[in-house]
Amino acid sequence: MIFTIMYAAPGDFLDQYRIDPSVSPELLKALEREYGLDKSPVIQYLSWLKGLFKGSLGYSFTYRRPVSELIWERVAATLILSSISLAASWILGILLGIFSALKKYSFADKLLTTIAFGFIAIPSFFLGLLLLYFAAKTGWFPVSGMKSVQYASFTTWQRFKDISWHLILPATALGLGSFAGLMRYMRGSLLDVLNEDYVVFARAKGMPERVVIYKHALRNAINPMITFLGYSISGLLGGALFIENVFGWPGMGRLIYQALLQQDMYLVMASGLISALMLVAGNLIADILLALVDPRVRFS
Amino acid sequence: MDKKSNQKMDFEEKYLTRTQLILRAFFKHRLGVIALVVLVLLYTLALFADFFAPYDPIDQSLKHTYCPPTEVHRTYKGEKTKAYVLPIISFVDKLTYQRSFREMLFPRRLVIEKADGSQAVYEIGADGVENFKFMITSTEQIKIAGEWKTVKRTPKTTEYFLFGYNEDTLTKGEFVNITQSAVAREMYFKKYKDKYNLQREQEIESVLVKDVLDTIIVKRNGKFEMLKGKVIDYDYKTYPVKWFVKSWTGKLFWIFPMNIHLYGVENPDNNPYVRFYIMGSDLYGRDVWSRIVFASRISLSIGIIGMAITFVLALFFGGISGYYGGLIDEGLMRFAEIIMSVPSFYLLIMLRAMLPLDLPSTEIYILLVFILSFIGWAGTSRVIRGMVLSIRQREFVEAAVAIGLPNRTVLWKHVLPNTATYLIVAATLRIPGYILGEAGLSYLGLGIREPSASWGLMLAQAQDVYVMTKAPWLLIPGVFIFVTVLAFNFVGDAIRDALDPRSLG
Repeated sequence: MIFTIMYAAPGDFLDQYRIDPSVSPELLKALEREYGLDKSPVIQYLSWLKGLFKGSLGYSFTYRRPVSELIWERVAATLILSSISLAASWILGILLGIFSALKKYSFADKLLTTIAFGFIAIPSFFLGLLLLYFAAKTGWFPVSGMKSVQYASFTTWQRFKDISWHLILPATALGLGSFAGLMRYMRGSLLDVLNEDYVVFARAKGMPERVVIYKHALRNAINPMITFLGYSISGLLGGALFIENVFGWPGMGRLIYQALLQQDMYLVMASGLISALMLVAGNLIADILLALVDPRVRFS
Repeated sequence: MDKKSNQKMDFEEKYLTRTQLILRAFFKHRLGVIALVVLVLLYTLALFADFFAPYDPIDQSLKHTYCPPTEVHRTYKGEKTKAYVLPIISFVDKLTYQRSFREMLFPRRLVIEKADGSQAVYEIGADGVENFKFMITSTEQIKIAGEWKTVKRTPKTTEYFLFGYNEDTLTKGEFVNITQSAVAREMYFKKYKDKYNLQREQEIESVLVKDVLDTIIVKRNGKFEMLKGKVIDYDYKTYPVKWFVKSWTGKLFWIFPMNIHLYGVENPDNNPYVRFYIMGSDLYGRDVWSRIVFASRISLSIGIIGMAITFVLALFFGGISGYYGGLIDEGLMRFAEIIMSVPSFYLLIMLRAMLPLDLPSTEIYILLVFILSFIGWAGTSRVIRGMVLSIRQREFVEAAVAIGLPNRTVLWKHVLPNTATYLIVAATLRIPGYILGEAGLSYLGLGIREPSASWGLMLAQAQDVYVMTKAPWLLIPGVFIFVTVLAFNFVGDAIRDALDPRSLG
């Protein structure tokens, strides 16, 4: 378990090295005087690292604010968006995946497969644009942003309603994209398990079909999905970049994208750090869940 | 019957070659075949882009910003004729300030009844008639307390009228445009409140513009004739839509100049208002369809080239690390894992952000290909390493080593060819990733730049909600991305099934 985490972490550690030297030469000349960037990249990196231990993530060049402040603002927005769509797409994906695996080759299965293929092939920003078009034409949903203009004057309940109302379309766009893949994956994984000998055996024993499926087949089929969940969690903060862009959602993806364009070094490095943390966290959660579900993992 | 078909199957299994069997298995996959046809069509489109595009993709027409798809008419004055289009203009109503696209009526033939009752026929091209111009008196009136007051009278000259708007000026001699719109009332209130001593906008009950046809100027043999009279019959200019039309000069296969295009509109008098947009136009009045066709070159080729580079890299590194093992293996695989651990799109953007943004399109294209293959390389390389590891244990490899073949030869001639099946399937299933990657980067403005076209870049124009609702046809490139990716997925699935030994029987 720890091994996986150790494995994943150095990747992003190096990431920062990779960004650091390549970004600074371009920036150096313009910002040398202003920010004292005339030191070598290694020293800069070390001093940033030193600041990190003191709890400071550095200072954003473009926003002229501490990076940590900026990031926490955005992390909240992104987490709302992506966790809701993650939850929805997982629940829907797994349920429909099971359903279509059990009703293999039926009309419903074929329909779901076609839909899934469609959603896999559609680029997320195009899906976002289509939903945006729908919103603009019907006027049922707000087209951009996370809050209404009058947000400040709302009561808590109204604020909640306002944000959820703004949330529906981006979350749908984000969720539909990943739901299709999950459903296909779940279907394939369950179908594989249903062909295994122990399922045949359980059926031969005369066990009720419900028990065969939910106790024997499903618990085995869900294992690969959990590893997958780890990846999804690590992608929580960055995965919504396009959707955030299309819907003007003030999230991390957009922040990082803009920071990269403006070569706002410390901001990028801090975001890299956070995504590394998310990666580690994602793997950790996946490992814990795997241990909960699969006794083999627990005992070895 | 059953027996016969069984015999047939046995026969086929025995006497068909492996290739034939694979093809047979592939053609059983109906969706895959359809998708393959779609892909072939798309690639033909890209290859012969200059032939399929009726306009130069960078040819602007600023008169036609966000022009909707051109309507093709098949009837002329109630009678069926060959397909034609009419000139079109983005027109702002003088009273309501609403902008809309209107078709234009350019008279071609006029029958005029003069004051003395005699009739005369004028037709452009006949009897030296070169063109028509119309002098019109435009009267603006406002209604105050039930009484019409003329506020302004202006003479003007025009060459055309607008269908569904002021065509009555020509046919009936006058055209009246009455409105109660708030915008018009406000404008006239501001202008004339002092003159008529108005307090509120509502006092202007309605506004009216009346155009009266005054004089028709006929240019004949370089001289102008002024005519007064009534137009009793007229014909207007139509521009026929035809297949295989000669227009702008493109370069077939980037080399041979060619000016024949699949379809187009014939425009003998070079009327700048005549454009034939089957999928509308964009901000600069460029034909969306032509741009889609040219963009397909970038979007479709990037997948194949990127994939090829990825696989060369993956074969090289995966092969080496699987075959030689040891320290090289450790190093390469750790590096691959590092690449894999970062969410791919982030990596893409980071790599892109490290490199300068303002490059010419061709350089960006090459850059994109390399960035995309750099990211895709890691995963494939790991799979190949795994395959090489297992193939290395097989007898034929041991035999090859035993007869003293150098390592390089064993690896390239004996080990790697055995990964071909996997490579072909993985390749088709991977291409969509590159297409989507390019589209995404271009959409964000990090990829291909104007005036070149790529599907992602074209979609970026539709980002603005206002533009999108006004010009929904700008979303069409997305449909092309969707269809291409879907087709590649289906074909990939079909190939996978076909290459699966179990399906060959």
